[in-house]
Amino acid sequence: MSAAIEIGDVRRVFTAGARTVRAVDGVSLSVAEGSVMGIVGESGCGKSTLARLILGLMAASSGEILVGGQNLAEMDRRARARLIQPVFQDPYSSLNPRRRIGGIIAQPLAAQGMRRGERAARVREMLAHVGLDPGMAERLPAQLSGGQRQRVAIARALILHPRIVVCDEPTSALDVSVQAQILNLLAELRRAFGLTLVFISHNLAVVEHVATEVAVMYLGRIVEQAPVADLFAAPLHPYTRALLASVLTPEPGLGVPDVGLGDTLPDPSDIPPGCRFHPRCPEAVARCRTEAPATRWSGARMVECHLADFTSSSPDKTAAAHPETA
Amino acid sequence: MTPVLDVSDLRVTFGGRVAAVRGASLQVAQGETHCVVGESGCGKSVTALAIMDLLARGASRSAAHLRFRGEELSAREIARLRGDRLAMIFQEPMTSLNPAYTIGSQMGEVLRRHRGAGRREALDRSAAMLARVGITAPELRLAQFPHQLSGGLRQRVMIAMALLCEPELLIADEPTTALDVTVQAQILRLLQALQREMGLAILLITHDLGVVARVAHRVSVMYAGEVVESAAVGDLFAAPAHPYTRGLLRCVPVPGETPRDHPLGSIPGTVPRLGPDFVGCGFRDRCAHAIPACAGVIPRQGDAHQFLCRLPPGWTETRAA
Repeated sequence: MSAAIEIGDVRRVFTAGARTVRAVDGVSLSVAEGSVMGIVGESGCGKSTLARLILGLMAASSGEILVGGQNLAEMDRRARARLIQPVFQDPYSSLNPRRRIGGIIAQPLAAQGMRRGERAARVREMLAHVGLDPGMAERLPAQLSGGQRQRVAIARALILHPRIVVCDEPTSALDVSVQAQILNLLAELRRAFGLTLVFISHNLAVVEHVATEVAVMYLGRIVEQAPVADLFAAPLHPYTRALLASVLTPEPGLGVPDVGLGDTLPDPSDIPPGCRFHPRCPEAVARCRTEAPATRWSGARMVECHLADFTSSSPDKTAAAHPETA
Repeated sequence: MTPVLDVSDLRVTFGGRVAAVRGASLQVAQGETHCVVGESGCGKSVTALAIMDLLARGASRSAAHLRFRGEELSAREIARLRGDRLAMIFQEPMTSLNPAYTIGSQMGEVLRRHRGAGRREALDRSAAMLARVGITAPELRLAQFPHQLSGGLRQRVMIAMALLCEPELLIADEPTTALDVTVQAQILRLLQALQREMGLAILLITHDLGVVARVAHRVSVMYAGEVVESAAVGDLFAAPAHPYTRGLLRCVPVPGETPRDHPLGSIPGTVPRLGPDFVGCGFRDRCAHAIPACAGVIPRQGDAHQFLCRLPPGWTETRAA
């Protein structure tokens, strides 16, 4: 399978006065055509910055991003829009409150130079795809519910038939019953349009349901990546284990887990030496405080941790730790 | 035993046109966590604010009774007990703390007002309470402003502030919704530990069924201003009786259980806004089991496990779920 997105050692640094924030600090990631790449992590881990970099809404400080085989930095805006589109978290602030729904959805077509007459038909067709009544085209965003607005945002993202959609917390502002509607819609549209999705969320249960592959971010780096079933069945990184432990599934009697991460919170303007997770890691040893762990791959799995052992959690015989870290 | 909080037939309307709460009743016993769960617009936050008499102007409130430790509470008494024996914490600690004052001065104000404490004593007791909610270097934190703290720390400060006067009832409105999952687990564990130590009665408002399952003793499910189902937490999750509760539970993906390649259960439509004269089941427009009788008066069935629906207890789905 070819890669829809190929990211090589991408960094993004922000400076504010004396403070330097390494929001994305050397991320390499390959998103296969037709897959759903879930990106999880706590606030401040750089997942939204990564989304903006992939969308070309922000330039990388260094590194290379290929989308559909082309270098994002050299791509024309309009060509980029035909290839990759965003869906953001807040359907209240991502739609222009003074424009009608039809105009909002047609905007990408107008930007590509399509004539007004042709646009209307495409908008009607797309409204049907996202489960909205054709009459909605005449409404204003304020007249719609949160779920309907997110449907509009999805319709706008798909109107140019892009190959890739980057969803940044697409259901976090929605109620659970509406979240389920939107997740089902995304799954349906993914099949219908053959989309590749990048799905960013802090909700691991949602990511487990929609993603085929998951990347776990911590302080600007991907610390673990694996096919979704493997990650949830046998997490290798202590941070992934803590994240999974903190998912409160609706099962009474289990109580609230002790995640064991302590009180030191990650600060992207002050990234610790050695392994960046060591101040919170319940398993850290002396080496973790001084030496940054290498990126280790085994089959489809990747982890950055001195202590992670591919063999212990994977029955796969080919899964042996890389010699350089043994 | 007399419950710490006993609310019966609480009603709240806004401008006489929108009925946000339409006859909600609930009790919270000492040492118990009662969760009120529902989606936005169901009236759960308005219920909390109404109990504390913190509703905005234009809202009117009535109740058959509103009792604290068996005593009927007037608005004047609520105002006197609020921040003292009745405490409340909110979702967003950044907007509930005053950005222009230090943590120490905001916490101290509580003790000066309700306990007549002097400056030195107020600071000492504030520092002790910060330590108790797991904040390291409390003296340093007292001198800081809210923006200098992380979200998790701010929520701990809010909890510390709410507990300064050793309240008997704590109302927590979505206390962990703005926090990361790892921090959420820490804050919920903290609330549970403090509850055990102090025998707190907690009324916890949330939209998160995971939180409910893990911390509640008792649960009330709200929909369109009414408590549509109320039960002990184990009973509610084992045998949900109201079609809305069942629908809501099917919407939540559970890792390892919900099949990945199947659509999630979902509830079509959206939460309605109902007027004060609305009669019948508020869920009927979205319910797969609705019949014309659902527009009439709906019976409240059961005792320890109550639900508001015409369907018999233990009804089974007629269509494939």
